[in-house]
Amino acid sequence: MSAWLASAWKSSLRILLATAAIAALLLLLSGMRWSGTAMAGSRTSSSTNATTPAAGCAQCHAEVVSSYSHAGMQHALEPEGSDPVLKSHPSLHAQVGPYSYAIETKGAESTYTVSDGKDSLTLPVRWIFGQHSQTWVLEKDGTFYESAVSYFHREQALAATPGDENLQPQSVPDAIGRKVSQWELLQCFNCHATHATEGEKLTLDRLSLGLGCERCHQGSDQHMQDALHGNFASRPRSLKTMNAEETSEFCGQCHRTWDTVVRNHWHGEADVRFQPYRLANSRCFLGTDRRISCVACHDPHQPESTSVEFYDAKCLACHATGGSHAAAGEVKETALAAAPKTCPVSKTKCVTCHMPKVTLPGGHGVFTDHQIRIVRTGESYPD
Amino acid sequence: MTDESPIALHAISVSIRSKGGSRSFHLCVRLFALSLFCTLIFISPLRLSAQGAASVDDLPQRATAARNSGNLPAAISLYHQAVQQKADWAEGWFYLGLLNYESDQFANATAAFTSFLKLQPGVPPVMALRGLSEFESSAYDDALRDLEQAVLHGAANDPHNEQIIRFHYAQLLTRAGRFDDAMKQYQFFADRHIENPDLLAGLGLVGTRTAILMSEVPAQQRPMLEDVGRATYTFLSGDNEGAGRLFNTLFTQYPSSPQLYLFYATLLYRDRSNLAIDAIRNEVAAMPDNGYARAVLAFTLMIAGRFAEARPEAEKAMEQKPDLEMAQIALGRCLIETGTGPSDDKRAEGLLNQVLSRDSNNLEAHMAMAALYSRTGRREDEYRERMACLRLEK
Repeated sequence: MSAWLASAWKSSLRILLATAAIAALLLLLSGMRWSGTAMAGSRTSSSTNATTPAAGCAQCHAEVVSSYSHAGMQHALEPEGSDPVLKSHPSLHAQVGPYSYAIETKGAESTYTVSDGKDSLTLPVRWIFGQHSQTWVLEKDGTFYESAVSYFHREQALAATPGDENLQPQSVPDAIGRKVSQWELLQCFNCHATHATEGEKLTLDRLSLGLGCERCHQGSDQHMQDALHGNFASRPRSLKTMNAEETSEFCGQCHRTWDTVVRNHWHGEADVRFQPYRLANSRCFLGTDRRISCVACHDPHQPESTSVEFYDAKCLACHATGGSHAAAGEVKETALAAAPKTCPVSKTKCVTCHMPKVTLPGGHGVFTDHQIRIVRTGESYPD
Repeated sequence: MTDESPIALHAISVSIRSKGGSRSFHLCVRLFALSLFCTLIFISPLRLSAQGAASVDDLPQRATAARNSGNLPAAISLYHQAVQQKADWAEGWFYLGLLNYESDQFANATAAFTSFLKLQPGVPPVMALRGLSEFESSAYDDALRDLEQAVLHGAANDPHNEQIIRFHYAQLLTRAGRFDDAMKQYQFFADRHIENPDLLAGLGLVGTRTAILMSEVPAQQRPMLEDVGRATYTFLSGDNEGAGRLFNTLFTQYPSSPQLYLFYATLLYRDRSNLAIDAIRNEVAAMPDNGYARAVLAFTLMIAGRFAEARPEAEKAMEQKPDLEMAQIALGRCLIETGTGPSDDKRAEGLLNQVLSRDSNNLEAHMAMAALYSRTGRREDEYRERMACLRLEK
């Protein structure tokens, strides 16, 4: 680095540190600490009185924090009382077997009521899992339940929660939903919220809604604190260096790894939800090739693109004459020397043929099958 | 007979739920046999028809009348005479077997069911009955073979019959040291909230890895086995927190049974591998020379994706038990995930090939191979191994 550049860098650093110090002072003065009460613009849950530190990260990473605020993972758990879906559907009803269900939203409160016509039970809706389609985790006397009914975006209506269709509750309390064990709760909240667990304990009083920075970038909270004091040595490890296999395992912590699905013997079309597993079953998958990693197509800090053309360039990074390794990011493996096949049919809208949409059992949702392949007419779901 | 079926099935269900001990199971077996025959006459050509009876004079009618009147000795005698006259009368052999079973003449029952099965090979309910007769005759290896085949071919598909068959089958699997297979049979009872002291003691034998029958359990050990069984049953019922509390009580109550840690770890390792690791670490700390326990620790750490921690444990386990498959797989996978170069890859491949040379269908070994090829850029090999895994896990 030249002296001039070094000087400019130091100058920028001084400005940055000064800004950070002022911000820190303001925060301290106003009592708005990261673990304390909600900050303006943060995603909070009134029941947990918790907040996200993303606003703090935004001081340095404004652009990525801004785009991430619209990304799906940030909305994996929605705030009670201000969820757009429940606000726009203030009275939802369903009948499942002998039980009727009603989700009513009035002002900042949503309630879940189950009735058998004689008795009824009403619980507050506190934990809203999902941004578009939703399932609620409910609590009664210290026991947690997965709601027996869920809201489905496709139908804009309630129906039985997938996987729970065969429950046969014998009473109104049983009909709330499926009891969720402690370890399963840990998994649920760990993948839908940040700071919701600590080891084997649930820490719902501390949770931030959705997946905040710290959830993937472990150590970012500490990094932020240190950065405010001018220490940048504790920066979280970069995730950019991960290859396809490592990325699949990282994302698979929640989206399910190939190992997890195989070990659990999960089968059927419902496993189309487990994208890392499906992707690894593709003939073109290779652990060392970053062009086939999750993040080659999906920037986790951006809302998911629904344009099929958006993904063409990703496919053509390999499947084009003289496919660009550079475009995929410093791929050096010898295995890539062999040129992948090019499609004789089209160079556009690749995913429409090679990554077909699969409707989940029950018909409430459609997922893109990440098992990339040549789909034969009439073939069944490869499982 | 057909009219008795619902009563019999109902009685089986009630007795299992309300009574404990082998007497209720014995009663259940009798009722079960009746219900089996109801099934049998619908699925086989062996109907109680006048045509069949006419072929052996009036002995069948007299035998049936004796059976219906509860005169078992006379019925047995008449059926015996009938099958002596007409050895291909399968129905006669069936009743002769059943009545002998009801009269605690288990060797005769086994012989009669064997004659039936020579005429009608592979009828699952009769195989199950012969298996139960063999069990009572202490011909345990034969009983295991028959009950295994019976279950495999659907004899236990009826939810009511399933209880009797699975309970005896589980005991035989335990005696054979096939504890994981026995556990699968006991899972059935937990799923249906069926509980009694015999079931708990049976689960206790599984938990303590004791390869004996319940009838061989010394009386003073029975309470401990039931305690272990209750903790296990609680876990199988899905109450993980409750099971955790019960196991922790057991660890305190029975400190000289270190196998309990290992067992708890094997229950937990798929879904709650971190808890399992804590449990098995205690086992290793208590018995550092236990290569098997160390291999389980390494394997569980591997399942949890904690490869760096798993590797030294796997290395030690290999020193202690170099031929132990679990240690070979754990070390092989750890070398792949934490290795620094071709020598580690080569060593991993060698270990995994050792496993596969003995057990070509070992899923974890194939999974590790897929990981190896994925990390070393061998696309076609990786794909082949992944597809092999998908075939194996179905």
